[in-house]
Amino acid sequence: MNTSMARRIMIALVPAVLLLGAGSAAAAIDLGQELQKALRPKTPDQAGPSRPSSSAGGGIDLGGLFGFSPEEEVAIGRQAAGNLLGAAPLVKDATLQKYVNNVGRWIASQSERPDLTWHFGVIDSNDINAFAAPGGYVFVTKGLYRLLQSESELAGVLAHEIGHVVAKHHLKILQQSRLVDMSSKLVAKTAGENPVIKNLIGNGAEIFSRSLDKNAEYEADRMAVTLAARAGYDPFGLPTVLQDIGHAAKDASGVQLLFKTHPLPDDRLTHLGDAVDGRLDRLQGPTLAQRFYHIRP
Amino acid sequence: MNRATRIPILLSALLLAIGVALAAEEGSMLKADDLKAEPFRDATTVGSLAAGQHVEILDKQGGWFQVKSSAGSGWVRMLSVRRGEARKGSGDAAGLLGLASGRAGTGSVVATTGIRGLSEEDLKAAKYNEAELKKAESYATTRADAQKFAASGKLAARKVEYLPAPGAAK
Repeated sequence: MNTSMARRIMIALVPAVLLLGAGSAAAAIDLGQELQKALRPKTPDQAGPSRPSSSAGGGIDLGGLFGFSPEEEVAIGRQAAGNLLGAAPLVKDATLQKYVNNVGRWIASQSERPDLTWHFGVIDSNDINAFAAPGGYVFVTKGLYRLLQSESELAGVLAHEIGHVVAKHHLKILQQSRLVDMSSKLVAKTAGENPVIKNLIGNGAEIFSRSLDKNAEYEADRMAVTLAARAGYDPFGLPTVLQDIGHAAKDASGVQLLFKTHPLPDDRLTHLGDAVDGRLDRLQGPTLAQRFYHIRP
Repeated sequence: MNRATRIPILLSALLLAIGVALAAEEGSMLKADDLKAEPFRDATTVGSLAAGQHVEILDKQGGWFQVKSSAGSGWVRMLSVRRGEARKGSGDAAGLLGLASGRAGTGSVVATTGIRGLSEEDLKAAKYNEAELKKAESYATTRADAQKFAASGKLAARKVEYLPAPGAAK
């Protein structure tokens, strides 16, 4: 058996295991759903947006079976984002922050959740990483931003995180914890810290140090090149960044957390290559290297 | 040839050598792939590259790298290439190439070590910062403004389907 075949079998196995794991919880989920219905009226967005065919969910839309309400999702995202900003504040450069919001918002507009209130930011850390929280909160570290050479590369990085939000990858994990305490009302107040959500997402910003399923990462990569292409950019911004990060030694401290929570860049490139397989050849676009905003030293 | 003429010749030869070294970037094949005459899937196959094979990257166009290798010259999918592979025993040259191409290589990644990191422990210990969150939210762009921003960069939206997972029915 060659390695590519072995990889395909692995990919087929992982969702199967996921489904088995989720199976035992299914009965409890239905109960929770009933309880939620009783507690408040169902909103139109509750079933989630139309989503791409998902390898992470094994083709079954788990997010639609038992969803957080849009308000709950934003409340969770706010808490997680506030905690992350407690660990690393924004880079003090309003032009930079406005620029990443423009790029990010334009790409998010091409997604299945164009009307979410999207927020983007560059945070003051030399680590190389990027983060997405439910509800449309996306952050890139200064360390990663400095590696970028063009707007299409920034677009690729933001599009990967947008992919996580659109596919609700984090919410699916959180939903499992929620089963423990399904009757709690998550949206108790509109601003500030929420104790129930704090309990749900764990200590500080540790939600960002948890790994998603690696198929969720591969899916976000595939969504990223597609979203960048939809937005009119050269779709290969993200792969270019992955090739840069691939230089870094596995144990270099700037990439430790990134490499712990994501498949290694070489695997991501190979996987993406299998998925793209020449499909994007006719979809060229500008990299907008001239317009790229370079961070102050 | 006298000494006076030899020095400029040597110098220009040296500059030429540096120029050549800077123009090309090293790479190696992540997996076996075809070498194409042009940067398109349907282009004529002019050779094949084995996994691990060394290539010299000359140019990039869309998702393709123009490369030179022992199998000949042509175009190969960039997703099949690991960029920036150092030649064995020439770590300095690789660092120089990274600098010259303006791309941050291993050197600058390592250089960030120990400055303000964001480790698992840092994240776990993080305390909610409402003021900073409000500031972050204040930079939000509206959908309409983002559209104007895109138009000023001559970016036009287009319809593209999501890519299927590899291994799924094609």
